Amino acid sequence: MLKRTFIFSLAFLLACIAPATVARAQGAAALKLPAYKKVRLKNGLTLLLMEQHEVPIISFNFIVKAGSVADPAGKEGVASLTAGLLRKGTKTRTADQIANELDFVGGTLGAFATFDYTQGTAEFVRKDIAKGLELLSDVLLNPTFPQAETTKMQAQRVDAVKAAKDEASGVIGTYYNAYLFGSHPYGRPTEGDEKTIAAITREDVAKFYQTYYTPSNTILAVAGDFQTAEMERMLTERFGAWPDKTAPAITLTEAAPVQGKRLLLIDKPDSTQTFYRIGNIGIPRTSADRVQIEVVNTLFGGRFTSMLNSALRINTGLTYGARSAFDQRRLRGPFFINTYTRNETTGQAIDMTLDILKRLHEKGITEEELKSAKSYLKGQFPPRIETTDQLAALIAQLEFFGLDERDINTYYARIDAMTLDDARRVIKQYFPAENLVFVLIGKASEIEPVIRKYAPNVEKKSITQVGF
Amino acid sequence: MKSVTRALSLCLLLVAFAAPRAASAQTFDVQTHTLKNGMKILVQRDPDIPNVALYIFYRIGSRNERPGTTGLSHFFEHMMFNGAKKYGPGQFDKVMEGAGGSNNAYTSTDVTVYQDWFPRNQLDLIFDLEADRIQHLAFDPKIIESERGVVASERRTSVEADNAGLLWEQLWATAYTAHPYQWPVVGWMVDIEGWKMEDLQNHFRAGYSPSNATMVVVGDVQPAEIFALAQKYIEPIPSHDPPAKVTTKEPEQLGERRVEVRKFAQLPMLMFGYHVPETAHPDYYALKVLQTILFSGQSSRMYQRLVDKDQLALSVRADYDFAFDPTLFVVTAQPKEGIATGAVERAVFEELDRTKKELVTEQELEKAKNILLANFYRQIKTINGRADQIGSYEVFFGDYRKLFNAAEDFRKVTRDDVRRVAQKYFADKNRTVATLVPEREATPQEAGSR
Repeated sequence: MLKRTFIFSLAFLLACIAPATVARAQGAAALKLPAYKKVRLKNGLTLLLMEQHEVPIISFNFIVKAGSVADPAGKEGVASLTAGLLRKGTKTRTADQIANELDFVGGTLGAFATFDYTQGTAEFVRKDIAKGLELLSDVLLNPTFPQAETTKMQAQRVDAVKAAKDEASGVIGTYYNAYLFGSHPYGRPTEGDEKTIAAITREDVAKFYQTYYTPSNTILAVAGDFQTAEMERMLTERFGAWPDKTAPAITLTEAAPVQGKRLLLIDKPDSTQTFYRIGNIGIPRTSADRVQIEVVNTLFGGRFTSMLNSALRINTGLTYGARSAFDQRRLRGPFFINTYTRNETTGQAIDMTLDILKRLHEKGITEEELKSAKSYLKGQFPPRIETTDQLAALIAQLEFFGLDERDINTYYARIDAMTLDDARRVIKQYFPAENLVFVLIGKASEIEPVIRKYAPNVEKKSITQVGF
Repeated sequence: MKSVTRALSLCLLLVAFAAPRAASAQTFDVQTHTLKNGMKILVQRDPDIPNVALYIFYRIGSRNERPGTTGLSHFFEHMMFNGAKKYGPGQFDKVMEGAGGSNNAYTSTDVTVYQDWFPRNQLDLIFDLEADRIQHLAFDPKIIESERGVVASERRTSVEADNAGLLWEQLWATAYTAHPYQWPVVGWMVDIEGWKMEDLQNHFRAGYSPSNATMVVVGDVQPAEIFALAQKYIEPIPSHDPPAKVTTKEPEQLGERRVEVRKFAQLPMLMFGYHVPETAHPDYYALKVLQTILFSGQSSRMYQRLVDKDQLALSVRADYDFAFDPTLFVVTAQPKEGIATGAVERAVFEELDRTKKELVTEQELEKAKNILLANFYRQIKTINGRADQIGSYEVFFGDYRKLFNAAEDFRKVTRDDVRRVAQKYFADKNRTVATLVPEREATPQEAGSR
């Protein structure tokens, strides 16, 4: 309860789930992802197997290569609803039976959609692996999407959107995405909104499943306390007969950065603070400059002593936390600065935020700061690849993005090789300067006069308005 | 050197709860040493990653406060990062991050906990940083004012802009009339605005004696090197009197209490608090089993009834956290739109009543124990999680070895125990109900869309 600091996304949202593991040769100097085996079954399913024997737990992570960008227009939330309904009924089990069998062994099993893909996780104690695999394969191969369960979940999700809007910090990212990306599929609310969720039918869900949940469109990673040969045999037995068909390719174009300044104000009349994000279009996960950008962002807004948090929190007490991040997707995702401050200091905080961004461009970073950020990223990395669930997620994502263990095994070397010239270059190329999107949630009657100066027009919405 | 090193090698045998199932075993060696100034050090070596988690638990929290300075423990926690003698303002974080480390801290009703996470080659530096602030914390008036703003912002975010935070605060303020659990850990806003320098200095003197703290170190370390570092950096710090004992006991509640919060919101919210005993009480385990049967997983009774079958709520959960003194078992339900809060209430009460009248099934009992075992594994799978668990058991149960007995303690719980604690604690007159009632100022856009 009541942490001193906000949670840093360790510079990168998506990357957080990822990165590496640790072979320890010479202390922290060596970093090596534990070996894992990659197998492609005859039906096209990709298996990734990594043994980890420290705790008697086995973690699964599967990726189906279709996320909310594949949602039909006007029915945003289909990918997410499909994922949620996987465990709500199969050819041989009701939702209740699945829940009972799963809970009885203390297992976990769930799936959710991201923009680019659907991700599922499952975890079982080693002794229960047979039951675990039976349940995992059943929900993935045989879901029936019963009408009653679909209707129930839709109603819950519509209400969940309303409940989420009662807490500004939980929805600012969705509003920001929608405003920044506009009609680009990356602007869609992954879970859908009050109206689009209600518009989805059971047939939409079944069709999404039929179209995209195919073995050649799926990656299944497992990490934990097992023997590779035996696990490979068990997985082949469970998933080898899954008939393949080709899933349609999802074509997306890169989003273009917003030109000029645009501002959206969402009125939440009970707000005592203004929550805001400022930024523009960022980078994809596979950017060749990712590590250098991560180093600069660490200094700019990625850790407690960052420029943003020093100015807005440590030196002035204007906020509890200020940070920045590049949310990395298959194509260019958003870059944002995120913070909040009380109504009366809204203008002061935004001025300061823009000033810090300007200083980054004008002054860059120092040799000493560069060294500090390098130590920080390297020192904080091993705990991100400590557990079987982290490792299973990491290798599944690397595979999805067309990367492999080299992404991890060269991570420290790439950090070490970075120079001040690299920093200058990535600041200029990737951190927005004049072209900025502003999204604010706050009490419009108090803050609107102050924020007019940040953009030629103020666009307005009410938090109770349907959609984002 | 008079200090005594006691090495305990404990084998944590987690025999699976259900007898016919295969047994799993975990070894888990903790070595302990108590410094001459009274600080106890617990070390568990885990070379899996080249990192270390170092936690310091101080036995002081909001229960040690008084009206007028509520939230002081938490504010003080913030001040511990704002400069001491060797490392001035901003240096603690700057130096630690530059060395590849990071940190955080949290304050609860009972404890203040400082957490450092860092590469193993920085042990010396981390001890130097910790010793400096424990011994020589500075109190700069300008920094105090700035940090006051930070904490006020934290309160605005976690209470004013969060319906669950707001309702939680009102629930405890209503359920407690005498005991200090009645005020929020973050403090009332008027107190946050009013603390004085001497309040902070008094707090430091009261709570931050080494004898009032326990250090836990988990990671790629040797216990002997940790004890040596502690002797070098921490042992010279003199101890003094611990904070005054909290002697107030909350009188028995004699009837249901209700509190309502009206504010702008789209959906209502409900919380129910029942007085239950402190963590070290023998009924703790049966209550955790009961909580698991009622609330854990989609097959749990409350989920099945409220979310799945009757479709009254979006979610339902229960919190029963570690505490030195008798605390609350809190049920939180998020009703669906258009559902009367009374209907949600009735369903919650009926499910609680059922556990008082009928025994839970054997299958439910075994399921709960399996879930608790799996959760246990999840809590100890990281060095951070293990440091937190070892420290919490040492502080709240009085002995970290209780952690290794947890599996056995849960296994002993019977169906009769579960019914007994349900009858004992889920009485109507022992209950406080907090309701968030949405008030909406209609706007033109909204009128159009509904």
